Amino acid sequence: MARVPIEEGFFRIPDDPGEPPRLLGSRCPNCGEFFYPRRMVCAQCLHEGCDDVELSTRGRIWTWTYCHVPLFGRKDTDVPGYGVGQIDLAEGPRVQSILFGGPDDFAIGMEVEIDLETLRETADGDEVVIYRFRPLAERSA
Amino acid sequence: MRRGLRFEDVAVAGVGMVPFGMLKERPILHLARDAGLAALHDAQMTLADVDEAFVGYIQLTSMIGIQAMKELGLTGLPVAHIENASATGLVAFREAAWAVSSGRADVAMALCFDKFTDLQARGGRGGGRDVIDAPILPASYFALWAQRRMHDRGTKPEHFAAIAAKNWNYGAACPFAHRRPDHPVTPEEVLASRMVAEPLTTMMCCPADDGAACVILAREDLVRSRQPGRPVVRPLASALQSETYARGHTFIGPVVGPSTMTRDTARECYEAAGVGPEDVDVAFCHDAFVNEELEYYELLGFAAEGEGDKLVEAGETGPGGRIPFNTDGGLIARGHPGGPTGLAQIHECVLQLRGEADGRQVDSARLALAHLVGGGSICTVNLLERTD
Repeated sequence: MARVPIEEGFFRIPDDPGEPPRLLGSRCPNCGEFFYPRRMVCAQCLHEGCDDVELSTRGRIWTWTYCHVPLFGRKDTDVPGYGVGQIDLAEGPRVQSILFGGPDDFAIGMEVEIDLETLRETADGDEVVIYRFRPLAERSA
Repeated sequence: MRRGLRFEDVAVAGVGMVPFGMLKERPILHLARDAGLAALHDAQMTLADVDEAFVGYIQLTSMIGIQAMKELGLTGLPVAHIENASATGLVAFREAAWAVSSGRADVAMALCFDKFTDLQARGGRGGGRDVIDAPILPASYFALWAQRRMHDRGTKPEHFAAIAAKNWNYGAACPFAHRRPDHPVTPEEVLASRMVAEPLTTMMCCPADDGAACVILAREDLVRSRQPGRPVVRPLASALQSETYARGHTFIGPVVGPSTMTRDTARECYEAAGVGPEDVDVAFCHDAFVNEELEYYELLGFAAEGEGDKLVEAGETGPGGRIPFNTDGGLIARGHPGGPTGLAQIHECVLQLRGEADGRQVDSARLALAHLVGGGSICTVNLLERTD
């Protein structure tokens, strides 16, 4: 059984299940701006030819909400609700993502770390996964 | 240099729409036909008078706009498709107004239609479930903005509930609205409805809709000669922008764009028109989720930054207030089929400026503003004026 991303090209799944996934981003060699996801033309200075990079696994919650309606894309999974956040990575990109935890577990400014959530299994038995962020405090508790 | 459009010598000849709602039994082409005919009748024209048409929708089907136009007749007129997500209708309006203002057409039509009940049957919007941003409900995106607002400005859910209640109650007075409550809606009722994504409850979110709307623009002298004695409504100016990059831009999940986009687009439109927000009598905005309306009070220039809550507390954006917003109920109550939404805004602008908005009329309205964002990636602001 393998873990496969919901869509190719956005994050790398390490072979070691203990390691966090890595978001695939870009860095402009001209102005130094970082982006997620990958892009060829720099959105800030229009330089052509950004470099591929892997982004930080940690960031801070810029804003968050808790959604009480079952996930749009995974109606085959029974969940009462899920957190959603925008995470500022140290390099600059703001990433919108599912958050792991309950409705009372999040706060603006809280430090979070990326990991994976399984959305469903394929007919071949592979796990379809997407990245999510979880509060660091919750993890150590 | 990029700047807003200022229109010359163009007026609204006619408007028409079908009331929005879940119209499962009515084929989409019939919705388009009925809105088109209503506008032609209002303009006292037939399709033979129309030189050019712009059709818009956010359906996945290709070329359905051509089929819709054929329901109105086959006259050989040029037809072009416009698609800009939720902003589609206003952009079709802008292009039709510019076609006349630029002199290439004497009469131009904007016709938009959509059926969300069909989209739902096909499994939802977007690219299906196997895309990176599929798992998150769009309401969440706007809730993220609302949560940050409450953190930064101390806005309360009660502010959002007051705006939503206002729009539901405006919907009750508008015969074209999807949601027409049979009782006065209170902020308490809005707050008590089911939570979708904190702090947004179901009554703070727009419904899924089917609908169609049409606006016909023509040379002003043609409108005056065909409609003697009727108040004339003219498109005054229009601005259209896409996003400008800034640090913190979120590229995946493009439903809420940078808030500066509305501010900058509005400024461009005001400058093109030579007016300011203090001159506007009635306004329409993208209130798909209610916290947006509060933000747009400020971004459109009706309140200083962080001061929008005070407008709500004073009731300034409701009946009898300084600047009534979304008098047809807005996206929340009138409804939001997608493509036709912007033309429904123009429909209500025109009724307000003609003085025909029974039960919700803004006293002596002379200048109206219509704003929409589309997919968080595009914004348009348009001004219309009454000239006697």
